[in-house]
Amino acid sequence: MRIIKTAIAAAALALPLFAHAASYELLNVSYDPTRELYKEFNEAFAKQYKAKTGDTVTIKQSHGGSGKQARAVVDGLQADVVTLALAGDVDSIATTSKLLPKDWQKRLPEGSAPYTSTIVFLVRAGNPKGIKDWDDLAKPGVSVITPNPKTSGGAQWNYLAAWEFAKRKYGGDAKGKEFVEKLYKNVPVLDTGARGSTTTFVQRGIGDVFISWENEAFLAKKEFGEDKFQIIVPSLSILAQPTVSVVDKVVDKKGTRKVAEAYLQYLYSEEGQDIAGRNFYRPTGAAAKAKYGSQFPKIELFTIDQAFGGWTKAKKDHFSDGGTFDQIYLKN
Amino acid sequence: MKKGIKQAGAATLAIIASVGVAQAAENATNEELDQRIRILERKIEIDKEAAEAKAKDSATVNVSDKGVSIKKGDNEFKFNALVQLDARTYLDDSRAQNDTFTFRRIRPTFQGSVGKLIGYRLTPEFATNNATIVDAYIDLKFDPAYTLRAGKVKGPTGLERLQGGSAITFIERGLPTELVPNRDLGIQLQGDVLSNTLNYTLGYYNGTADGRDGGLVDTDNRKEVAGRLFAEPFKNDGGVLEKLGVGIAASTGTQLGNSTANSAASAVPTGYRSPSQRSFFAYETNVTANGDHTRISPQAYFHNGPFGLLTEYVQSKQEFTRGTGNPTVDVKSTAWQVATSYVITGEDIGYKGLSKVAQPFTVGGEGWGAFEVAARYGELEVDDAAFAGIAAVRLADPDAQSKKASSWTVGVNWYLNNNVKLALNYTNTSFDGGKAGGADRDDDKTVFSRLQLNF
Repeated sequence: MRIIKTAIAAAALALPLFAHAASYELLNVSYDPTRELYKEFNEAFAKQYKAKTGDTVTIKQSHGGSGKQARAVVDGLQADVVTLALAGDVDSIATTSKLLPKDWQKRLPEGSAPYTSTIVFLVRAGNPKGIKDWDDLAKPGVSVITPNPKTSGGAQWNYLAAWEFAKRKYGGDAKGKEFVEKLYKNVPVLDTGARGSTTTFVQRGIGDVFISWENEAFLAKKEFGEDKFQIIVPSLSILAQPTVSVVDKVVDKKGTRKVAEAYLQYLYSEEGQDIAGRNFYRPTGAAAKAKYGSQFPKIELFTIDQAFGGWTKAKKDHFSDGGTFDQIYLKN
Repeated sequence: MKKGIKQAGAATLAIIASVGVAQAAENATNEELDQRIRILERKIEIDKEAAEAKAKDSATVNVSDKGVSIKKGDNEFKFNALVQLDARTYLDDSRAQNDTFTFRRIRPTFQGSVGKLIGYRLTPEFATNNATIVDAYIDLKFDPAYTLRAGKVKGPTGLERLQGGSAITFIERGLPTELVPNRDLGIQLQGDVLSNTLNYTLGYYNGTADGRDGGLVDTDNRKEVAGRLFAEPFKNDGGVLEKLGVGIAASTGTQLGNSTANSAASAVPTGYRSPSQRSFFAYETNVTANGDHTRISPQAYFHNGPFGLLTEYVQSKQEFTRGTGNPTVDVKSTAWQVATSYVITGEDIGYKGLSKVAQPFTVGGEGWGAFEVAARYGELEVDDAAFAGIAAVRLADPDAQSKKASSWTVGVNWYLNNNVKLALNYTNTSFDGGKAGGADRDDDKTVFSRLQLNF
């Protein structure tokens, strides 16, 4: 009798462990405009993973300005994976909290950037202010919408693209700074993230031009009316490389490493790339590139490494406390 | 004349032109003003979003008629309390029993969660001379379908026993509760499955005597396994049968040891009590538990709007020996009850009590609170085997202990609001045996009233 009782008790205690093994929950901490992308991707991945392994995966999403999201992870948000707007934000998690190794970017193809994008302008139908290129954004009387670079990864891409344009056109960093300062004098509202800026421009009707992620500009036209907005492609823009990583210490603690890694690897699969293309991100896979390439305008693109010596330097020079953004914005 | 006409025409044109310019200027200003207003509104909106996000990250303190809670993310701390002051009158004074005011329960409860995984509850009791611990357990909440609970908990066997002390319809629980464990130390797996229509509990405990708490340590090194399956098959349908629950519970284990000498850890019932809390049956002092103890209890409840019905049956079968060298006797005691209630003011009632008082009592106002009437009948019968044999070997003395109790109670509950309840019960319990020569013990006739505060 005592043996039976002990066996029943042991089985009862062990039951949760067995039952738990077939069910996983992941938290993907992402940046602002990826809501639609990951809604579609998560469903596809869960279905594929269930078919392949029999295990159930539930993916929860968290969205916000990329910099703000990175700080939330550093502060304890239990992200299994991060899919942020720029490598610099993932770097800050690695260096500040040591939740993942410093060489995280080498673990996945394409420098852990499964899709790319760039920065374009969204203007109202008919382009009433005649916006054609970056110069026009710094003119008096033009109201420009862009988020806060202190909290938004997209805003940092915007800022650096404007800087590099002026540096090349007018010669030198001093001119770049002067130009960006003029441009930010035309910014009436600083949202914390790109999706907030979309709301400001598209739904609240504020501003003449919105410096936008390319995918967000396409989505705004699709969602709110092809005839209400138009996309202006500047002469020069930046190759935006949103990056992804497993958060090692979290997945090891939760026992979700295997599924988290599979999740990110699936972004590079044919289906993952197709979903990226459908959501107006520039795919990196050959098949999806061929399929969706024609929907993206041809722009001269520069990289962060070429123009600013990588994210570590760019963040330090421009977005750290006392950096160029603070210098121009606090002065205004 | 012509000159005059020309001058007048020029003047008119000039006026028209100046009005046009002014209009254009005004239009431009309106656009700017519109943008400024939009910008201001958006800034306010952004500030509000930021404030809400900040509030989300901050601890939220909530004080309500359900107590006090402090919550931040998945961490929560809650404080509740239950105080019951009784006035107890024994109409039949043939047996000495004090008419008295008494605190039945003074129980603050501290409970909460630490993250998503861990929950806890601690409830001390201050209504006794020495403060004791009523509930003290930790939950590991793996999933709503399987939570592991460890500590001092209510055993899963009795339906009315599992009802909260503030939610029971009558001032004291009915006779079946005398045959099921009260609280015991152990570990149990529990959860809700099949879209929350089936609740299960499977536990492993120190083991208790009927109707009592287990001791702080297990003195016989033997354990008890108990389980319960309780189904509410129509819970998600929203119809008349939504609050119909049917279940079965059981326990089994081996108990060894002495009886009333060490009542806190006794394996032998220290006495079965009537709903008036008077003992009507007890084993001889040198009776010891000496073998298997099993219980089984089919049980059900039904609630629909203001109507409530609860019924349960318990069979407790336990092996006892008196003294040394005497045979072991298997004693099978049974109890059952049917209890019904009706809220005459129309509020919904459920297993967890009254949902919400529609018109709380107000001094000088129109609200009178909620009124509920209730009635109950139940019996508890001790096996003849307990009385069999000569005086030296029998387990209980038929001239002093009753074989059976039959009890009925009528009551009325007045819920002044969601926190205060006044209860009045009349209980009559009649007995088979219990007096010399096989005569029946006198009936218990009691009027109990209660003032209850819970929040």
